[in-house]
Amino acid sequence: MLTPTRHPNRRPLHSGAVKAALGAISALALSASATFAQDYNPDAVINIGSLYEPQNLDNTAGAGQGINEAFNGNVYEGLFVLTDAGHVEPRLVDSYEISDDQLTYTFTLKEGVTFHSGDPLTAADVKNSIERVTAEGSASSRKRTLANIETIETPDDRTVVITLSSPSISLPYNLSYVWIVNDDAGDITASADGTGPYTLQEWRRGSALAMVPFEDYWGEAPSNGGVMFQYFTDATAQNNALLTGAVDIITSVQSPDALSLFTDNPDFTVAEGASTTKELLAYNDRVAPFDNVEVRAALARAVDNEKLLQAIWGDYGTLIGSFVPPTDPWYVDLTDVNAYDPESARQMLADAGYPDGFSFTLDTPDYDPHPVVAQFVQNELAKVGVDVKINIITANEWYTKIYQAQDFEATLQEHVNHRDIVFYGNPDFYWGYNNPEVVELIAGAERASSVEEQTEMLTEANKIIAQDAASMWLYLYPQIVVSKSNVTGYPVNGLNAQFFVSDIQKAD
Amino acid sequence: MSRSNARTGKTLTLWLSLVLVGAITLAGVVSFVWTPFALSDMAGGRLEAPNATHWAGTDRLGRDVFTQLMIGARIALIVGAGAVAIGAVIGVITGILAAFATRFLDDALAAFFDILIAFPTLLVAMLVVAAREESSLSTAILALGIGLSPIVGRITRILTKQVLSQDYITAARVCGTSWPVIVIWHILPNIAPFLAVNLALQFGLAVMAEASLSYLGLGAPPPNASWGRMLQEAQGTVYSAPWGAIFPGLALFALVIGINLLADGLRDRFDPSRRSA
Repeated sequence: MLTPTRHPNRRPLHSGAVKAALGAISALALSASATFAQDYNPDAVINIGSLYEPQNLDNTAGAGQGINEAFNGNVYEGLFVLTDAGHVEPRLVDSYEISDDQLTYTFTLKEGVTFHSGDPLTAADVKNSIERVTAEGSASSRKRTLANIETIETPDDRTVVITLSSPSISLPYNLSYVWIVNDDAGDITASADGTGPYTLQEWRRGSALAMVPFEDYWGEAPSNGGVMFQYFTDATAQNNALLTGAVDIITSVQSPDALSLFTDNPDFTVAEGASTTKELLAYNDRVAPFDNVEVRAALARAVDNEKLLQAIWGDYGTLIGSFVPPTDPWYVDLTDVNAYDPESARQMLADAGYPDGFSFTLDTPDYDPHPVVAQFVQNELAKVGVDVKINIITANEWYTKIYQAQDFEATLQEHVNHRDIVFYGNPDFYWGYNNPEVVELIAGAERASSVEEQTEMLTEANKIIAQDAASMWLYLYPQIVVSKSNVTGYPVNGLNAQFFVSDIQKAD
Repeated sequence: MSRSNARTGKTLTLWLSLVLVGAITLAGVVSFVWTPFALSDMAGGRLEAPNATHWAGTDRLGRDVFTQLMIGARIALIVGAGAVAIGAVIGVITGILAAFATRFLDDALAAFFDILIAFPTLLVAMLVVAAREESSLSTAILALGIGLSPIVGRITRILTKQVLSQDYITAARVCGTSWPVIVIWHILPNIAPFLAVNLALQFGLAVMAEASLSYLGLGAPPPNASWGRMLQEAQGTVYSAPWGAIFPGLALFALVIGINLLADGLRDRFDPSRRSA
């Protein structure tokens, strides 16, 4: 749960001793299983296997989820951080206060924070970093959530005053996405200059990203001697790398079949966390026939999600009836809305003017599980007379053709973010869903004066997108991290694809 | 080893090759009229081991692997035959042209063949697929056919030149026979046996290349079943359900080794210098 950040009597909210103590407790909890093996090696380099190689190193330049995984909280920090447990906590902010009309936030920055290049953190860096995200050319998927920032003022080096055009209850949450970058850094698509506990050592495009501890880090020093993200293009190679000891941890297991290699083996630890990764079939809601609610609802009813989830994940994973995973506060069980019912699907297609079905192209990313999911959907829709042409594309093509050019009929994608229902409030998003009621609810929830009000409005929006069958939400991935048993202290939930590496310990 | 023993061995491998190729061809032909299940029928459970109902088990979606193998045989044979046909037409025409051409054109074509051969067939095929908008069965056939054509062209050129140096060709030329007649009456019948052996070998290559293309997602798109894509899809489950990878792998192996043995046997029959009687 997000803790409310508004303070009625304008008293500065200090991240004092209580918070530090809480932090220590959660750190202890994370490393609880390691307490019997206190003597970890502080110089050990942790090798992390991942399937998400970033396209570049700038999270406002369409780098993909891989850059959040590698850099969020590790190389770059935000004013706030979304912890692995889902709480929003101050990071580079020492204290802040909110005006009574909720339009002015005054942040006081932490003292003694320096960038990897040696420059001290100043208010100007913060202003610049926020403007990088909201800039014209920014490809950040969170750009719109910061669009109501009217002015950013920097009265002195440690104070940032943000004035909003309308209240924004999730401003601290949204700021957790904003990397604070040195304003002298220039182009950061191939280099980095943040304040995090690690500095970028080397990026070998296509294979690995190496990071070493930053000696002048303001906070607690990492409990390892550095990390190396090693990128794999297929899950089997990644699993084999863990089996042979080439990597210590894999950040996400992609199929239940690989798990049998690790579950009964004392050399490995399997951790299951709460996932926010949703597999979905996104229609281009702007183009016929997907601009028709009845057609979308019919297709949703034609696909047996339960059978699909079983096929892909066996006994793991969760069914969802909309875009909202159970870890978001506005979750309600909507699996009954447009549930599997091929009979009524055929009827609805006929009512919508497609008694003989229709045909469309499904742009399918070439990595697992999308091609298999595509074939399943193809089979299911064939039964109601809809002909699906599968077009296999690479992740790069997906980004340019679908996300940027919006030139598609339907596509498959996994969406990893926490609290990303806001995408349905953006008619310009790649899937082009545009329901004024939802746009208003999502915008209105931002202006809410309490978390309860925000939750109520987003719950309502959640119900409407489900009724509208805005996309076809297939299932929620399980979040499974597997490590060697001598490695502990890693995050298991991976919210927003983040993977904080600072507490990871490895025993010899 | 005595001569008759060697001969029996050769006959045996020829028979073995006929059985392998014949069985797979039969499966491919039968698949047009009958398969145990419909290709997209998710009839079984997830990753069932081979059993009485599903002879080669099921895949992740519960589809019958044996059915996919049969359809895959059809695809492999169609792509192999189509690619060899395209490669043969382009290769034979350009090869004969080169042999008849002026010195300069001959050298140029020969160099062109060599340069193309230096590119792996698969790479040429991938370029062709990339140049077309989307992958399809016909794209795969065309791509592999083009990839194979320089190999056929080069061997045709060499074989044709050998025939052209024979005295009876000189005699025919002296008599004023036109070159199209020489090609049809003298050259083609003489190079056909050797070319057939070579084309059989190319067929094996084409089958492998099709599987590789499909493995990379560049072959015939689903719902066409291809052994290469079956292998790719089974990769994630290779530890818990190895049959998904073993059967298409075996099928591919059987077809390619069968074709190669067949080519070997044919060469023994046609090549007088290897005839052991």
